[in-house]
Amino acid sequence: MNRALHVRKIHEYLFEIPPHGKMRVPARLYLDERSLRELMENQSSEEWNALKQLENVACLPEIVKAAMAMADVHPGYGFPIGGAAAFDPEDGGVISVAGVGFDINCGVRCLRTHLTRRDLTGKEEKLADTMFEVIPAGLGSTGELKLSTKEIDRVLREGARYAVRLGYGREDDLEYIEEHGCLSDADPSVVSHTAKQRQMAQVGTLGSGNHYVEVQVVDQIYNTRAAKAFGLELGQIVIMLHTGSRALGHQIGTDYLPFLEKATRKYGIEVPDRELVCAPIESPEGQQYFRAVMAGANCAFANRQVLAHLVRQAFWKALRVPDTAIETLYEVAHNTVKWEVHEVNGERRRLLVHRKGSTRAFGPGRPELPERYRAVGQPVLVGGTMGTASYILVGTEQGMRETFGTALHGAGRAKSRRQAKRQYPAERIIEELRKQGIIVRAHGKASVSEEAPGAYKDVEHVVEVMCNAGIVARVARLRPIVCLKG
Amino acid sequence: MPYEYLDHEADIGLEATGASLEEALRDGVRGLLALLVDPETVEPRQAAPVQATASDPGSLFVALLNAVLAAVDLHGMFFRDFELTHLEQVDDHWVVEGTLWGEPIDLNRHAVEIEVKAATYGGLLAEENEAGWRLRCVLDL
Repeated sequence: MNRALHVRKIHEYLFEIPPHGKMRVPARLYLDERSLRELMENQSSEEWNALKQLENVACLPEIVKAAMAMADVHPGYGFPIGGAAAFDPEDGGVISVAGVGFDINCGVRCLRTHLTRRDLTGKEEKLADTMFEVIPAGLGSTGELKLSTKEIDRVLREGARYAVRLGYGREDDLEYIEEHGCLSDADPSVVSHTAKQRQMAQVGTLGSGNHYVEVQVVDQIYNTRAAKAFGLELGQIVIMLHTGSRALGHQIGTDYLPFLEKATRKYGIEVPDRELVCAPIESPEGQQYFRAVMAGANCAFANRQVLAHLVRQAFWKALRVPDTAIETLYEVAHNTVKWEVHEVNGERRRLLVHRKGSTRAFGPGRPELPERYRAVGQPVLVGGTMGTASYILVGTEQGMRETFGTALHGAGRAKSRRQAKRQYPAERIIEELRKQGIIVRAHGKASVSEEAPGAYKDVEHVVEVMCNAGIVARVARLRPIVCLKG
Repeated sequence: MPYEYLDHEADIGLEATGASLEEALRDGVRGLLALLVDPETVEPRQAAPVQATASDPGSLFVALLNAVLAAVDLHGMFFRDFELTHLEQVDDHWVVEGTLWGEPIDLNRHAVEIEVKAATYGGLLAEENEAGWRLRCVLDL
């Protein structure tokens, strides 16, 4: 179909597809004309077309306001990646597997250090080798923490708190994790034994694909007030860590896909794509899936907490940097479903917000934010590629009004993995990055070539679009120095 | 081609074809195994059983691929090959059983490619045509 006929420009950085067919609300895209054109042209298949996926989301029961896509939007399964949708529990609003994804609560932890770029000069290789040795990554790797299923249940109930209790990291880390690293609605009893068994050796592992640990330097500050609140300065070393709930989260998704498919039939919900199976939030099935997702989310919180500890260990081992010199700046996820209160048409409503490959980006004043940041807004962590910048942005009032406080999560893929693999041999990419002063260590070749900088959209451009749209504002830009891949 | 990978910006599409549903399912699993690790580096020394149940051939394909992914973690093994031993439609559901052949994970020897998080219902297709069966889904990477 010719989608271009349907698309309406609201302003330079926001486009809308008005409801047509079975859409209940419009689809809204934070893009400029160039990226909209690219999105319409650069689609490998109508079966997994991001615009079609967004229109499909707009068909789900009791979706509020719009199905939204951020500037990093690209095709996913069911939901597009870079998508967000909120549902009203009254009158049958739904919870959906595809709105969360299989990597439940996948997210980013940012650690700020007391080090400057100069402190690392000449020691980059040593640090990279130590990180490679200390941090388990890649398919088939196992963590040093081997847990029983009983202990896994505590991970699922207590999240990052349990990891701290076991000696991984510090109490003050928890203050700066979304939800303090623990969701109280989690219920380990609705998570399968298979899911728990798969996770026993995977707590504290990075995974592969787009997951990474990256040592970066702050090379631009845009907003001194927010930067001061976040504890950021020019030339400072920070560390970004990107991973999720590992096999446990994947298995929860796998188990609940057929479960919710039955519920979809039971409640007579029409879904335009089978992957969009869902259940009314207030139904027993919807509630059960929600409690399982919360358990999966806690697993991701614990996983990142253990990995943050391993990062500190690597810095101590390689450079004798004490762990007190590495503090959690913030941790926020981008594959989530959460209860949040938002104002819609002048009315405060409790909504279930799905974010699939998009980040919570709350503006100033929200009670969910740590006190230190509350006056300026939430740090929004945007991962670039191994060869390009990453950003720390801040949420805005306008974002609260327009997108339920949601923004982009990364650069967003532009090329398929197969294309990237053909075009960017791993050895060549590693060598090219080395010449630019970026040290890469990877366990699997595919993680390098498929994640090559050229496979992604231009991070500068997607950040610019979201900032110009007023949804977020720039605080700092970060340049990669050392990157560990799975 | 018994199996084929399809372009997808974030993930990857997997399509398997066969003269029968058994063949298509088997080759789909082989396609998945080859994504994880170079099969040439894995010796087929030990067997691991795998089983899946679903309401129709499409969701059976997804359930089988997910059972294979779980087997990697549960047994701590990589696999080189898969044999389908049993396929049956009982009342309103389908059952598939098979054997995975491989060995315990040895990261010094096994050429690891990429982790597949799960098989999804995204782009799901299961169709019987003159040539046999065609199965397709998106794998979350």
